[in-house]
Amino acid sequence: MTTFAHIAGIYAREARAQIVSSFRTPQFLIPSVALPVMFYALFGVALARNEAPHMAQWLLATYAVFAAIGPSIFGFGVYVATERETGIIALKRVSPMPQGAYVAAKLAASVAASVLALTGIAIVAASAGVTMPAWRWAAVFALGAASTAPFALIGMNLGLRLGSQGATAAANFLFMSFSVLGGLWIPLTILPGWMTTLAWALPSYHLGQLSLMLAGMTPAHDVLAHVVLVLAVLAVAAAGAWRGWRRQGA
Amino acid sequence: MPIPEISPSPAVIRGLVKRRGAVIAVNGLDLTLRVGEVTALLGPNGAGKSTAVALLTGRLAPDKGHVSVFGGDPRKAASRARLGVMLQEAGMPRGLTVAEQIDLFRGYFTSSRPRAELIDLAGLNGLERRRCSALSGGQQRRLQFALAICGRPDLLILDEPTTGLDIEARHPLWSAVRVEAARGAAVLLTTHYLEEAEALADRVMVIDRGRVIADGPPASLKAAAASSAIRCVTRSSDAVLGALTGVFQVSREGARVVLMTRDAKTTVRELLVHDPDLEDLTLAGASLEDAFTRLLADSAGTQHTLENAA
Repeated sequence: MTTFAHIAGIYAREARAQIVSSFRTPQFLIPSVALPVMFYALFGVALARNEAPHMAQWLLATYAVFAAIGPSIFGFGVYVATERETGIIALKRVSPMPQGAYVAAKLAASVAASVLALTGIAIVAASAGVTMPAWRWAAVFALGAASTAPFALIGMNLGLRLGSQGATAAANFLFMSFSVLGGLWIPLTILPGWMTTLAWALPSYHLGQLSLMLAGMTPAHDVLAHVVLVLAVLAVAAAGAWRGWRRQGA
Repeated sequence: MPIPEISPSPAVIRGLVKRRGAVIAVNGLDLTLRVGEVTALLGPNGAGKSTAVALLTGRLAPDKGHVSVFGGDPRKAASRARLGVMLQEAGMPRGLTVAEQIDLFRGYFTSSRPRAELIDLAGLNGLERRRCSALSGGQQRRLQFALAICGRPDLLILDEPTTGLDIEARHPLWSAVRVEAARGAAVLLTTHYLEEAEALADRVMVIDRGRVIADGPPASLKAAAASSAIRCVTRSSDAVLGALTGVFQVSREGARVVLMTRDAKTTVRELLVHDPDLEDLTLAGASLEDAFTRLLADSAGTQHTLENAA
């Protein structure tokens, strides 16, 4: 029992330290939290006056997923690469810290940043006249928080395989691609049909579609397909991250 | 302090082979660390020191042979509970303060030293609230030392601990390492600095190309250093040369013979008596550095046994 309490304590302290450390780093906080809120205020509210609050509610749903991508793909991609290069990971791995605590702590920081960004977005949305039943708000927040997992694992694949420069470039590329091509910034319904076909390859699209359903913007359709495809991406990314982690030597 | 006989050795390496890419980084290494003893692993870059450390700390798995830490596999987190490690290159998370980083590592151990004691031992007084990103290179090394000893380790592995430290900062760290050994920790230290090995180690192992080429107390390395090398072309047999006064090692460099002697004057006199026609006679005093370099140059041959200087 003491062993369990000890291990749980390590996970908790590691998560707290990672959150404190990340939130003191402007390079992490600005793109992860400030950027989504600003973009949302611009595209969801300011530029969508005629269509508000419909557009504000639509983009609230897709921005819930967008807000999860930044902190996950940068928090894991760029920071894992940097911490690998500087030897922080090696030092943690030779310590008695359970290895899962490192990943869990980073995920906690990503979830914290994405929930903070989503809170900012929700405040802007509510002030722009978006109204939803409480359970829909809760569902959108929960999906947004859960969306960090696949992008975190994708980011970890970058961080474990590329140098910090390469990981930054790749993270930026994926961040933009997932957001735009996944229909998170601009609804795919107003874009050419082939873009929707392409979007089926992206986890961001499926999460965005699920979020739109939870926000009551679209009727439930293809739910199983979206869930299965997200889980498939999650599984492949997790396997890749595990292999990359195991391969890390001295 | 009496140590129970039954407890397994802090660290045992037997017949270790580890290939890294095309290179055999460690080639049949044997090593046993003992309680309360400081062992220095000395060797040039690429000798296999860091690979040995990576294998002992469970970051790499051996290709052949056996590594154990307190009788367990170092790749298991439980085996590392009594291990403290200072790696050669370890950055610190930028966003945490010194105190936060120390407390985080203290939390990995079921019983850890109080933070104030660690700050004192590592010489970090006044830096507790400083962000790790604002520390100088030397201060970062000292913080890494604090992290290595925060669990009162029974096995302390220090990979080039004073690289990047200025001379004045080395001595306090040496004292702190001595404190750990006196407490009963087995210490493994890798270093480039002969002075450091001499100051700290009870035992020095020189490794080159993944093998131990010399193993003995530092005094024996010093004895080798206090000697001279005589080179010449001579008809005298190795048996005759080995019997000359002062000579403790005979080897050959092509046509020339190399005599290591503790009494160059007498050796040369006797050498000339045995072979008045000898040619190309040169005499070189060996510095500590020379002794070390010679050991490495000779490492293609068999392992040296360093004798204790009388």
